[in-house]
Amino acid sequence: MHKTHIPVFDIVVIGSGPAGATTARIAAQKGLKVLLVDKRQELGAPIQCSGAVSRHALEELGITPSEEFIHEDIYGFSIYNQQGDKTEIDYQRIKPDEYGKGEGKKPLGYVVDRRRFDRYLMAQAERAGTEVWLKTEGLGYQPLEDGTCEVHLRRFNQEITVKSKVLVGADGLQSQVGKWAGLRTHIKLSELASCLQFIVDKVETDGLLEIVTGHQWAPGGYAWVFPKGHGYAEIGLGVIRTMTDQNAQWYLDQFIQKSFFKERFKDCRILEIQGGGVPLAHPLKKQYADNLILVGDAARHVNPITGGGIHTALSGGRIAGTFLSSFLKNGKKPTAKNLKGYQDQWLEELGNKMWKLYDEKTNIFRTKDIARQDEQLYNTMSSYFSPDSEYKKI
Amino acid sequence: MQKREPVIFQIGWNACINCGACVAVCPQGAGFISAFDTIAVNRPCDIACMMCEDICPVTTISHQHLSELNGKKEVIEWLQAQHTK
Ligand SMILES: Cc1cc2nc3c(=O)[nH]c(=O)nc-3n(C[C@H](O)[C@H](O)[C@H](O)COP(=O)(O)OP(=O)(O)OC[C@H]3O[C@@H](n4cnc5c(N)ncnc54)[C@H](O)[C@@H]3O)c2cc1C
Ligand code: SF4
Ligand code: SF4
Repeated sequence: MHKTHIPVFDIVVIGSGPAGATTARIAAQKGLKVLLVDKRQELGAPIQCSGAVSRHALEELGITPSEEFIHEDIYGFSIYNQQGDKTEIDYQRIKPDEYGKGEGKKPLGYVVDRRRFDRYLMAQAERAGTEVWLKTEGLGYQPLEDGTCEVHLRRFNQEITVKSKVLVGADGLQSQVGKWAGLRTHIKLSELASCLQFIVDKVETDGLLEIVTGHQWAPGGYAWVFPKGHGYAEIGLGVIRTMTDQNAQWYLDQFIQKSFFKERFKDCRILEIQGGGVPLAHPLKKQYADNLILVGDAARHVNPITGGGIHTALSGGRIAGTFLSSFLKNGKKPTAKNLKGYQDQWLEELGNKMWKLYDEKTNIFRTKDIARQDEQLYNTMSSYFSPDSEYKKI
Repeated sequence: MQKREPVIFQIGWNACINCGACVAVCPQGAGFISAFDTIAVNRPCDIACMMCEDICPVTTISHQHLSELNGKKEVIEWLQAQHTK
């Protein structure tokens, strides 16, 4: 049979979210031949993210904050309990010389537009030498005798096979790549927050990320009000379905119509509807297999207290890209045994802290008494975002 | 454990936000998905744990037991044929 020429890469990355695009960019910068594929036609759409990310997270990855993707600058947090009492952590007040809007001062973080942010990250990967294919879906992979693997793709309806030394699964929440290798990736119902959010007009915000705790508003999770630029806001929440019979949509309606914010929300007009699942889970215990590693949401690299996954996806991508470039340059065989090194590295830099956060979270929700549980969550959230939190950098 | 009866899912596409949460909780092996980031709708599920229905933020997944489709064997065959296309 005539076999057409099969393209060969050092690494093939499935999924161009923050995790995949960063892995690809770093690996390409370090001289690897990289293919990055995504099944979407427009990255980041439909949006499944609120877009809050710290300035530190971007700086760490050499990402210059740009108007291209930033909706609004953020200066701190307001954490509310169920009744509406709050702990305000405004860095403009805590460190006025460093944080603020004036000359020489900076924001604490940003709310980004994931469509533009993901496109930007992909463009940076491409400029670093990555080959990028959109409208290209990963279908499966097959380790080969020679130590490489075949990756099966479908691009604009055409089936294509490429060869690669390592396949990186960065395919997000609904990840299939891990399953291809038989890894147990599904998340427990009790550890996946079911989320819904509205982008709204006519709700004022003040440069702070507002987080509302309390079983009444969001059992197992929390509700949020984020500034979204252009005078818009984002109202959303996530619930754990094993803790309630109602869905996220029902809770969001309750929160808007019945909470202590009901006056503030009374004229709100919905401009966009978004949602998704946020793993409040531990990272996967096994994030590697023969010729394969997982990164980002696909490996459940999400902060189990805040549900934030952009920073951890970016950091995970940096760790994966750096690891793979020295790994492949040393001519190591990408067997599962050898690729365990990636996970070890990840645990050391990031993962062990995430496990600790997971234990803290588990402790809170193990408390049977709901009032106590609410109090614990409120206190944990308040101290998590305080300037002296030990977790500030994840 | 008592074996559950296989089900076929229907998704109300009008409410679905294509978020993939149903896929993320699903213990099925690789490929039990639709082109719209939801669990598969063209094959019966024999695990029938219903976690996909629970996680859905807009409760837009419903199911029928395979037995309810009895006599409609050709429907299932047709669905499956769609999958292999
Ligand atoms: C409602 C909501 C709000 C959130 N808010 C925040 C927040 O404010 N701050 C924060 O830090 N995090 C937030 N998160 C979490 C954050 O969105 C994720 O953790 C983050 O997007 C993970 O990045 P990733 O690169 O791992 O995956 P993703 O961003 O999900 O990217 C995966 C990519 O893979 C592609 N893909 C999937 N399967 C295939 C395939 N078979 N072939 C080809 N391509 C494929 C997809 O098209 C997608 O582009 C939120 C999540 C939700 C649901
Ligand atoms: S019932 Fe369970 S196994 Fe079947 S599709 Fe839904 S989540 Fe997956
Ligand atoms: S969880 Fe519901 S809204 Fe999300 S993709 Fe599945 S069916 Fe659609």
